[in-house]
Amino acid sequence: MTNKLSRRQFIGRTAALAGLAAAGPISPAFAGRTDRMNILCWEGYNSDQVLGPFRKAHPAATVRAESGTSDPDMINKLRAGETSVWDLINVNQPWARDQLYPEKLIKPLNKERFLPYFEKMLPDFSTPPYRLAFADDGNLIGMPQRYGPFSFVVNTDVISREMAEDQGWNLFLDPAMKDRFGVLTYDNWNVIHMCLTAGLNPFAPVEGADVEKFRETAKTIFGGSKLLTDDLVAMNTALINGEIDAYFTGGTYTASPARFDGATNVRGITPKSGPVDGKGGCVWIELTSAVNNPDPSDLAEEFLEFVQTPEIAKAVAFTEGTYNPVAQMGNPEVMAQFDKDELDAIQMDSLEEEMARSLDYSVVASYDTLIDIYTQERRS
Amino acid sequence: MNRLDGRLGFLSALPLVLVLLLSFLAPMAVVALFSVMPQKVFSIANMPDFSAYSLFFSQGYYKSLLWSLGMALTATIILLLICWPLAYAMAKVFGRFGLVLTVAVVMSLFVSENIRLFGWVLTLMKGGLIEGHLRAWTGLSFESPLYDVPIIIFGLVYVYLPFMLFPLAQGIAMVPDDTRQAAYDLGASRSQVLWQIEVPLAAPGIVVGSLLTFVLAAGALAESKILGGQAVIAIADDIETAFTFGQNWPLGSALSMILIVIIGGLALFGVSKVDLDAIMGRKR
Repeated sequence: MTNKLSRRQFIGRTAALAGLAAAGPISPAFAGRTDRMNILCWEGYNSDQVLGPFRKAHPAATVRAESGTSDPDMINKLRAGETSVWDLINVNQPWARDQLYPEKLIKPLNKERFLPYFEKMLPDFSTPPYRLAFADDGNLIGMPQRYGPFSFVVNTDVISREMAEDQGWNLFLDPAMKDRFGVLTYDNWNVIHMCLTAGLNPFAPVEGADVEKFRETAKTIFGGSKLLTDDLVAMNTALINGEIDAYFTGGTYTASPARFDGATNVRGITPKSGPVDGKGGCVWIELTSAVNNPDPSDLAEEFLEFVQTPEIAKAVAFTEGTYNPVAQMGNPEVMAQFDKDELDAIQMDSLEEEMARSLDYSVVASYDTLIDIYTQERRS
Repeated sequence: MNRLDGRLGFLSALPLVLVLLLSFLAPMAVVALFSVMPQKVFSIANMPDFSAYSLFFSQGYYKSLLWSLGMALTATIILLLICWPLAYAMAKVFGRFGLVLTVAVVMSLFVSENIRLFGWVLTLMKGGLIEGHLRAWTGLSFESPLYDVPIIIFGLVYVYLPFMLFPLAQGIAMVPDDTRQAAYDLGASRSQVLWQIEVPLAAPGIVVGSLLTFVLAAGALAESKILGGQAVIAIADDIETAFTFGQNWPLGSALSMILIVIIGGLALFGVSKVDLDAIMGRKR
């Protein structure tokens, strides 16, 4: 037996390789239109509590979900050509409005089908229908569901809610707070909140002397912080064991897991006053939008209707990880799904007033300038 | 007949060569192309303007690179010092116990790096496993070592230990005992045996281990994020930010290219200096 290669062996091996290569691209994503529904989302929509019942209702369909860890990560997937893979995408409202829709990565929803759902939402979303769910051309580009005020978090055993709300962002500039707080490094949020701390409007251009004001604020906050992490569990742990008394950037989204575990002294705070129309807080709102898939699935809009039902809306609000209010809580049937502890975890007692004191998360006009300064200060 | 064999061999390898070209070089080519594009574009059909590279200096990204390379170098040197005796023992002394050690080290790789690092956070943080117990038992307390540069280097050393240990053990195993004994018989001192016999003969293992750890550590992200609390920003962190929140693919690509060129050059230089076939055991 020699190890020389015969023509026959060569042809056989080549054929085997070609066969393997040809079999590769065959996958469920390329199948027909009502037998597929793929959603790219923040954690929650991919849970069994949400997808299980939908799969049961559509036994012939392949329902896939993938959870992203950041808005831009998910958007990068669509930019890289995955519009043919996904049917729905769930991101924070400015990313849908300012990145996805103008670049035709998502498409408008059927207004006749979806506008009636706004009527049953909480007042902030129903009258008039939530403004930022619409593009500037008037098209409905996504359905709101989860949302939450997002400013900062304190340990109310050490800093009372009233004091924190009154002091607002100045809390983090107070020399007495040096080394007593952490910075949750959600960078895009921190830029917004550092503007507010500096007394600037983050959603208007920041120029001239204001840029220096921002730099000074960033320097003070990073200089005074005890720890930096992008892990909300680590941050809550540090808050509970007394390593820090507050953290910069946080809200119901980050405080709710600790609160639901019984640490109700961890509380998201929305400042009582601030530089933009008297508002000093900020709120995030997710939109779930239809991806501009060249081979669209009819199940996409069906799923959007499905998540409006009381049981599923509750499941979306309370899946693993973090707990959040949903716009559908305006419907008494949805509200009835939540018990006292759950409502306390998401700070339902103060939700409305916090919303009234919060600005809508939007695109930061001078983001490029500010994120550079932010990173420089964080690095030094 | 030999020529036909050569041709058939080449043709047979061709599909795999194409796959490798496509899967390794094509993504690199795309990154290289993106790196010369004007900033914030999402297609390579634009006029190149190389502006992303100028940001490397003007916006201080070189600092992140220096931190990453510096920390990687420190971690590699520490690992070399720690692993040499251990690898020596595994190759020459422990015998069967060496296998136990191998299994133990390999087992740690079964758990995700992030989880292992987070375990260290829980151990080292204030009120964590160590400080919490100490405070409860003795009333004494100390500042947590977390969120600083030394702990990041500790994390790198901890995570990349297997990547230094095994190539080094392999390298040391290649040093024939006869050679060492002959050197001793000829009157060589311990340090002479180390520097003139063992180190040169184990060089392939040293180079492979050092390269592996250095390359991996230079591109590491989790240690500075989880243990370091981003006390310093690693270059990999900057690259990730550029691609995601920055939505500036050309900048991310330019930073990647700079890292790839430096690391790639270093790796080629290192590999060219040693006989890799020796450590693979194919020929002596």
